[in-house]
Amino acid sequence: MRGGYRESITAALLASAMISLHTGPAFAANRWGADYFPNVPLTTQDGATVRLYDDLLKGRSVAINVMYTSCKDECPLETARLAQLQRLLGERMGKDIFFYSITIDPKRDTPKVLKAYAEKYGVGPGWLFLTGNEEDIKLATKKLGLSRVRDSASKDGHSASLMVGNEPAGLWMRNSAVDNPQFLATTIANFLGWKNEAPRKSYAEARPLVLDKGEYFFQSQCSVCHSIGQGDKMGPDLAGVTARRDRAWLARYIMMPDKLLAEGDPIAIALFEKYQYARMPNLRLSSDEVAAVLSYVEGRGDARGR
Amino acid sequence: MFLPSKASKLRIKEAENARRNRQEIVKALADGQITRRDLFKWGLFTTGGLLLWKHGLNPFVRSAYASVPTGFPRSPLFGVQAFTQPMPRFDVLPRNAIATLNPAPTAQANQTQQVLNPALEGVTPGDTGPIEGRPPGPIWAHQEFTRFPPVIAVPVSTEGAKVNTVYDPGVPSSLNSGINAATPFPPRFHPNLPDQGPLALWTFNGTLPPKLLVGRYGEGIIFRHSNKLPFDIRQNGGFGIHTLSTHEHNGHHGAENDGFTGAFFYPGQFYDYHYPIVLAGWRSINTGATDARAGSPNGSGGITKVPGDWKETMSTHWFHDHMFSFTAQNVYKGDAGMFNIYSALDRGNEAINDGVNLRLPSGTAKDFGNLDYDVNLMLADKAWDANGQLHFDIFDTESGFVADVMTVNLVYRPFFEVERRKYRFRILNGAVSRFFKISLSDASPMIQIANDGNLLPSPVVITQTDELGIAERYDIVIDFSRYSIGQTVSMVNLLQHEDGKLPSSTLSLSQALSGSSSDPCVGKFLEFRIVRDPAQPDVSQVPATLIPNPDLSAIPVARTRTFKFGDGANQTTNDPVTSFRGPWGIGTDGGDKLDADFGRISAAPRFGTREIWNLVNDGGGWDHPVHIHFEEGQILNRGEGNVPATERGRKDVYRLRPSGSVTITMQFRDFGGMFMEHCHNTLHEDNAMLLRWEIDDGGSPFLRPLPTPIPTPQGVRFQAPTQLNNI
Repeated sequence: MRGGYRESITAALLASAMISLHTGPAFAANRWGADYFPNVPLTTQDGATVRLYDDLLKGRSVAINVMYTSCKDECPLETARLAQLQRLLGERMGKDIFFYSITIDPKRDTPKVLKAYAEKYGVGPGWLFLTGNEEDIKLATKKLGLSRVRDSASKDGHSASLMVGNEPAGLWMRNSAVDNPQFLATTIANFLGWKNEAPRKSYAEARPLVLDKGEYFFQSQCSVCHSIGQGDKMGPDLAGVTARRDRAWLARYIMMPDKLLAEGDPIAIALFEKYQYARMPNLRLSSDEVAAVLSYVEGRGDARGR
Repeated sequence: MFLPSKASKLRIKEAENARRNRQEIVKALADGQITRRDLFKWGLFTTGGLLLWKHGLNPFVRSAYASVPTGFPRSPLFGVQAFTQPMPRFDVLPRNAIATLNPAPTAQANQTQQVLNPALEGVTPGDTGPIEGRPPGPIWAHQEFTRFPPVIAVPVSTEGAKVNTVYDPGVPSSLNSGINAATPFPPRFHPNLPDQGPLALWTFNGTLPPKLLVGRYGEGIIFRHSNKLPFDIRQNGGFGIHTLSTHEHNGHHGAENDGFTGAFFYPGQFYDYHYPIVLAGWRSINTGATDARAGSPNGSGGITKVPGDWKETMSTHWFHDHMFSFTAQNVYKGDAGMFNIYSALDRGNEAINDGVNLRLPSGTAKDFGNLDYDVNLMLADKAWDANGQLHFDIFDTESGFVADVMTVNLVYRPFFEVERRKYRFRILNGAVSRFFKISLSDASPMIQIANDGNLLPSPVVITQTDELGIAERYDIVIDFSRYSIGQTVSMVNLLQHEDGKLPSSTLSLSQALSGSSSDPCVGKFLEFRIVRDPAQPDVSQVPATLIPNPDLSAIPVARTRTFKFGDGANQTTNDPVTSFRGPWGIGTDGGDKLDADFGRISAAPRFGTREIWNLVNDGGGWDHPVHIHFEEGQILNRGEGNVPATERGRKDVYRLRPSGSVTITMQFRDFGGMFMEHCHNTLHEDNAMLLRWEIDDGGSPFLRPLPTPIPTPQGVRFQAPTQLNNI
């Protein structure tokens, strides 16, 4: 039997030589090209009809997420973060990379609704919001690795992935749409092989930070939409907010803004209306984290006052 | 869910074409070349407007044709039958003197410049970059490099598949099922299957069989990992990425050697990983190295004592790529090996009777590390395309990836010749999303001696294993003396998958053997052939007491944290190797018991403390094998009942089970001067963020986030871990 095995190895070596002759290199074709992606029609926020493959993917580098405008959960944060990313990518937007945000609620999210939403978040050139036929969207998001079985049951369960792709190279990478935009910008630049024209810090310049907990949470969670004393962004300037509002109300609102809005809390509704119906996301902070954030905001406000 | 194995060629062909057909139809429909009415007429559209399920035309449904879980038709077997090839033993990596390394290893990353290959992304001709990809500077310097100087150099590469001309199984041909190691070993899953191309299969040193790293306590290793993958990022055979970061799974090393997901290195670079191989607790327990049980084989039958807690002795690790966002693809592509660690207790010699050595099945010829009867098994399901080339669906990663061909040591369902005596098998689940549950085909007993590579307090006699989650290791002893020469007995997988979320059902042994399962990876996967009596009597033992757990009861619990692993909107996985669903971070150091939100990293456990963590599966019908780096834990509670005897040791992967929970206790120590906790998950809020805490932090509320390393071919740069500048 052992001898038999040796013989079969020899035979197989010969066989494999022949196999490799007629199969050729396994990498010649891009597996993730026109054969893979459906060319379904989608509609942009400006009402233009575009084809997924021919018009949006073919020959391009892209970053794609799914969202819906009435989302009370993660989407506002996703869109706000992507808006930051868009600003970081600057001139490259619409030239070296295109953003696509595909609604998974096409019935409600008409081009008009998407356009208003895009304007609210300061969406610039190179970033399309897309709606369309429900089946086409399902197919497109499935093929892009952005759909989940449970989406049909609950849109809130939708993927917060950001698929970054280099279509001609057949390279795709899953990222988080709510990740730190600077980190995303760097990751995308590396992945797409852009020359890093804005040099990062060398080791000698990069030191560990010493942050207090409130500062850390503010910087990582709140500063996407809020400043302290530098004016309104997506949400209000928070300078003096601890003096302006009742502390217990603030803590409750930060912990569960969706709930206050649903309850019809008058301040929550007024803020919602004032800030162009941008929903404050529920960041799921714990009570001690909220307390830390509030004391940081309060301290910063005081520091500015002095 | 799988195309039946006896499917006709026509059906397979049809399945091959189905995906393409579907695309053509969708395209034709979109382009207006055909109408929905045409499709109705052809019977391919439902009245609801959906493409019919049949013939794999509907990508939403895992149909009986083209939608096998790989997203491809069944992998063609080219007429190959199971159990017609011998199982190769692992290929033992050479252990060289440290002086052989050129350039010599350095505590801080070697920043010597080299001219870069312009095929690398972001490189223009003439650019230079450092030869080592490790981030520069003191934070990323090898910790305790002078206290634990490296002694052994293990140079390895990752590269495309090629023929192995230096195979070292560590045993003679008679103990390797007759394989002549001097014969070139081709990169293929069976002698009659096609060679894997250099872009399809990427392995350590570019060859099969998979590699075995051998180490012993107190003998530090420099694992010099050279990246020899293609410079052009597009040359990936459809999946995988050419940047690497190697995780030594369950290593108790400094974080710079942990394979941090964002500290990756490029083709043309190397990364020196320093594995000091120390016993946990070395800073505080047995610091004078006086206990012989805390020891290492000295090479001549004696023991070299080392500091630390002998109850923390570890035996079976593995190492694998941990590249940001590409871990699953790169591991599936072959970038995984195993690591046997030898100690005075578990020295891989069954004859030395010194009152410490447990004398587990291994061999007698060498002082330590005998592999004669100590066999590594790596289980993994694979899939390949019509040309027999490894395939992975890079978009179908939300629910996990399950393939249809079972491999052991990266060959298709082999046989293994054994003698009539006891063997130890170190079994690794090296799959992407598949769980296994193993029985012998005659339902006879096995003895489990280790879980996650750590010897249990007591051996446990079982007739089938618990579920073996991804990355878990079970060490099993099988006594083949009960069989006669000429008999066979097989390892059988009882666990059936329908998708990558979790196993769909456990089959009885007779069901699994009947071949009726729709899952081709159910049933026999490794056949043992009993070929002879051992030349030497079997003097190995399985003692009633192996390694008791460290007693943590006297250490106060500094904190209790709860981590929920859910399927929420902000949670998904990119790392099925440690395939929990949803990122994990370190909860805040708030005083209250906290339901940590995995959308953030906040504080880290304090140096020198012990904590209790509740890991909760937040529903969603998933199972999550949760892996925690660096420190091992003991399971205190399984929620729904007793902790099984096979889980009463020290672990690093915790299967939560659907809607289950696990309560563990862990200590945090040894490399606390700088320690990182990190999330493996793309969807983590601050993915690449590292935290450290200082030994002398004294309870301050301040966090010390480290700058995030940003590797580029020209060198690693850093950016602040949070957004401190407003945009």
